[in-house]
Amino acid sequence: MNDNVIIKTEKLCKCFGTDIHALHDVSAEIKKGEVVVIIGPSGSGKSTFLRSLNLLETATSGKVYFEGVDITDPKVNINIHRQKMGMVFQNFNLFPHLNVIKNITFAPIKLGKMSKKEAEEEGMRLLKMVGLSDRRDAYPSQLSGGQKQRIAIVRALCMKPDVMLFDEPTSALDPEMVGEVLDVMKELADDGMTMVVVTHEMGFAREVANRILFMDSGRIIEEGTPDEIFNHPKNERTKSFLSKIL
Amino acid sequence: MASFFEGIKSDFITCFLTKNRWHFITDGLVSTLMITFFACIMGIVIGVVIAIVRSTYDKNHKEMRKGVGKNLLAVINAVAKLYLTVIRGTPVLVQLMIMYYIIFASSNNGILVAIMAFGINSGAYVAEIFRSGIMSVDQGQFEAGRSLGFSYIKTMQYIVIPQAFKSVLPALANEFIVLLKETSVAGYVAIQDLTKGGDIIRSATYNTYIPLLTVAAIYLVMVIFFTHLVSRLERRLRSSER
Repeated sequence: MNDNVIIKTEKLCKCFGTDIHALHDVSAEIKKGEVVVIIGPSGSGKSTFLRSLNLLETATSGKVYFEGVDITDPKVNINIHRQKMGMVFQNFNLFPHLNVIKNITFAPIKLGKMSKKEAEEEGMRLLKMVGLSDRRDAYPSQLSGGQKQRIAIVRALCMKPDVMLFDEPTSALDPEMVGEVLDVMKELADDGMTMVVVTHEMGFAREVANRILFMDSGRIIEEGTPDEIFNHPKNERTKSFLSKIL
Repeated sequence: MASFFEGIKSDFITCFLTKNRWHFITDGLVSTLMITFFACIMGIVIGVVIAIVRSTYDKNHKEMRKGVGKNLLAVINAVAKLYLTVIRGTPVLVQLMIMYYIIFASSNNGILVAIMAFGINSGAYVAEIFRSGIMSVDQGQFEAGRSLGFSYIKTMQYIVIPQAFKSVLPALANEFIVLLKETSVAGYVAIQDLTKGGDIIRSATYNTYIPLLTVAAIYLVMVIFFTHLVSRLERRLRSSER
């Protein structure tokens, strides 16, 4: 396997019963430093695919390789690999019983990755980066949606992951807050973070993505650069999807 | 009127001061509190463990890979269910007597036996309370914990249980209050708790009113006190949700 490939899936299937396929033989590669955006209609399996990359969703068959290790192997300790895969959720999922700085530093401290001091320094650095250093002692319930999502991104980043997975990070936000979250994501992309993003923000996909995967009914129908997908789509399904949303 | 108060005064003296009978009340109170306190801790420990087993089974069993882990979980879950059924299906007094006369027949430490009996009994109720708490924590919290690299158990311990605890605190406090009053049946198996203490004074003095009403008042004061403590704790825990 190429050293540059950070995540690779092989014939990933997720089926319920015999004929309902959430994922159908999905094979894909994510390279280091790449920003891959997955688009497609609802129920097309894009979130399922993203969530199976860190095994939050267990595929029925097929394999996921992360940094060369087959993490679908039951003998593999998935927790160690998940530490290197940050994840951002649609509904933020901040810990409501912890304040901002504890939300951020909790995992690196408890998992023994950093001392309390190191974690807090790193946490504050990241909070400054997303412009929220003044909210370090606030509780999640006191934050706006956009702030929550920026904190959630920082929480994932504080573990110093090799790849970041974004599961519709702006879908639960008020329109005016979408921009602040996308800006943070753009900055991350500019810094060379490997990112896999499921989103409906076509502007973001066009501007930031290196590669776009178009999914429908559990398969990758088409993939290519933003220019190829948005300006010269080849597949009829891609064309009809794009014509509806652009 | 004056003679009425004189009568109460002399009854009071016979009930509590003569032959230092107040010791029956204070010693009984100490026993009651000890049984309640340790049984409560035991109940919470058993309850949390059982609740984790039951909710883990309910949530994950279908998704789990076939293997030893899956079978082991199924067996532990079945044992937990059996425990819940038996304990909740039989009266606590019967359980206490079985403990005292059968299981620990050779022990003469009544308090310890009572702690075991009430702790095991309370555990069954606490387990169901906690299970509802765990189930009420959003699934996203599990996923957030797991995605950061915490194991299932650590996610439970650090993220889910603290939140579940907060939401079940009122029900848990109620269970504690029930337990405090339930221990009054301990006198049945020759344990001198608060109720038994009052009863001993009653039979020694042939005065019914004063010892029994005193005992009732002491329970009432304790319950009011604990209710107050819990509502203060609840307010403090809620401060993170302003």
